[in-house]
Amino acid sequence: MRIVIADDAVILREGLAQLLATRGHEVVAGVADAAALREAVAAHLPDVAVIDIRMPPTHTDEGLRAALDLRRDHPRVGLLLFSQYVETRFAADLLAGSPAGVGYLLKERVADLDDFVDALRRVAAGGTALDPEVVKQLLGSRHHGVGALTPREREVLALMAEGRANAAIAKTLVVSDRAVEKHIANIFTKLGLAPSGDDHRRVLAVLHYLRS
Amino acid sequence: MRRLSPGAASRAALGRRARAAKSGAAPALGRRARAGSRVAGALRASFGRRTAAELLYALTSIPLAVPGFCYAVATLALGAGLAVTAVGIPLLALALAGARRFGGLYRASAGRLLGERVRPPASPRPGTGFYGRVQTTLGDAAGWRAMAYFLLRLPLAALYLYVVLCTWGWSVVALTYPIQRAFRWNDMTAQDERGLIRNGLPVGGLHFDTWPRNLVVAAAGVVLLFVAPWAVRAVVLLDRMLIRRLLGASETAERIRTLEETRASAVDDAAATLRRIERDLHDGAQARLVALTMQLTLMRETAPDGPVRELATAAQSTAKAAITELRELVRGIHPPVLDSGLDAALATLAAGAGLPVELRADIPVRPTAAIESIAYFCAAELLTNVIRHSGASRARIEVVQRDDRLRLRVWDDGSGGAIVGAGSGLPGLAERIRPVDGLLEVVSPAGGPTVVTVELPSHA
Repeated sequence: MRIVIADDAVILREGLAQLLATRGHEVVAGVADAAALREAVAAHLPDVAVIDIRMPPTHTDEGLRAALDLRRDHPRVGLLLFSQYVETRFAADLLAGSPAGVGYLLKERVADLDDFVDALRRVAAGGTALDPEVVKQLLGSRHHGVGALTPREREVLALMAEGRANAAIAKTLVVSDRAVEKHIANIFTKLGLAPSGDDHRRVLAVLHYLRS
Repeated sequence: MRRLSPGAASRAALGRRARAAKSGAAPALGRRARAGSRVAGALRASFGRRTAAELLYALTSIPLAVPGFCYAVATLALGAGLAVTAVGIPLLALALAGARRFGGLYRASAGRLLGERVRPPASPRPGTGFYGRVQTTLGDAAGWRAMAYFLLRLPLAALYLYVVLCTWGWSVVALTYPIQRAFRWNDMTAQDERGLIRNGLPVGGLHFDTWPRNLVVAAAGVVLLFVAPWAVRAVVLLDRMLIRRLLGASETAERIRTLEETRASAVDDAAATLRRIERDLHDGAQARLVALTMQLTLMRETAPDGPVRELATAAQSTAKAAITELRELVRGIHPPVLDSGLDAALATLAAGAGLPVELRADIPVRPTAAIESIAYFCAAELLTNVIRHSGASRARIEVVQRDDRLRLRVWDDGSGGAIVGAGSGLPGLAERIRPVDGLLEVVSPAGGPTVVTVELPSHA
């Protein structure tokens, strides 16, 4: 993958570039603020941009705003927000509309490089990658039919909301693909969602349900 | 003991000798000179520049009193008369604000002629919104004091007039009495007890119609002339006191204001410091820990299977734990998302509460950082209370900002019976809002629901 990294901390930009290089990914540009990010994305049209939310000058949510602009201007570029905090409002802004090709992860998730690269791949391919913390907030924020689910179904739902495909869910929970399919069918029935054969569509349906 | 250099000591001795020589040379002359200078001093005190200024002040004060008095009477009457209508109260507020400014004219004349430098009262803290401003102006003691001065100024002017006429006026008349008599300007005719017609001023049966008697009147004029400056000065003294009390800055009000200002800046400074600490941690320790995690990941990627890789994995989980702990710590100091707004911060708080929390935020104008921070931590504490004590199944947070006030309300459908005290965290909350004059209201009947309202000013 071709990747652009936006983070005002050089040490993190370089560390991440080094890590991604070990997996054969190319960091085409590393920038320190939102304006430079917009330019770099327009110039390189990368597969995915990894964006720190807090960047100069105000150090509040520049990265998020830049990401929302980029989604409008370059819908085919995957956008992964990368932050030391998970904020409900930021997640809600990112997932508003059609949350395709976006992700929101805590920075320490790079500890599991396989998982992290997988998240980047999903985002680059138009899928989603949400931090378990984001999902926890989505599940906890409102009163919905989640209470009717069994603990196992809730686990499956959380992993789906993170943006994972069936195979990955099966692997994480150490169950068969068929068992995951069955859980998902039950979840969709209990939540009153229209079934769909496509992994990604199902994820979107779940996210839409959790946000409504 | 102070040591003098030889040079300095001899200079000091020389100085002493010179002074002794001066005073010893002509003691009689000195005494006479001292007496002379005392007379000159008394004359200066009675008829110096100060006396002239005070007389001028007294004379100008008479016409100056009229507009102020008219202003006060007219505006107060109009304001009171229209008080039942919508314009009455704002009009009164406008009049008070005007009185404040008008008072400046009297301060200036006292400053120019009497050298009475009175600090103007500090302007009241501005209210926001039309009614906020009206309210602060109506509550502004300085405006009312100025009004009181305008009302008192007219009788004072009458006193000035009376004193000036009785002293300066009569002294001039009496001093010039012999001249008036000589030119027959002032032919007062009266009958004495024997029925004779006498020309001249009659005082208690005595007729001042002879030259020696005329001179007595003139002498009385001289005495009156010496009394005049002091009589005017006495009234001026009264006026000075009134100006200081009514047109100047009130000491208590000044003190309160200073305390309020320093307290507000202390509150703001504390908030700014916490914010800076948060930012330093974010850019410093937290970023380094993430970098450390990355380096350990790299180590795991490149190291062969074995103890090194295991150690790297263990170190990584320690680093991750440190990152999580630091994140929680920072959330307790200053949640970074507060910089994006109170509503954004409360959204995360509500989502992480562990029970369904509905959030309603209506904040058209952002309060200051310190107030946002206080409101956030109040909400966090109240939500913790809900989770710990109430047994509620859902809760609601409402934040509304109106007219310079921020109202935070946390509602839950729990068992109620919350009281301030008994480990409820409510006393801590009361302490938290005290430095900004916040209000706390707890309504929690047994059986619920519990509604806690915190009201804060929009700025400290």
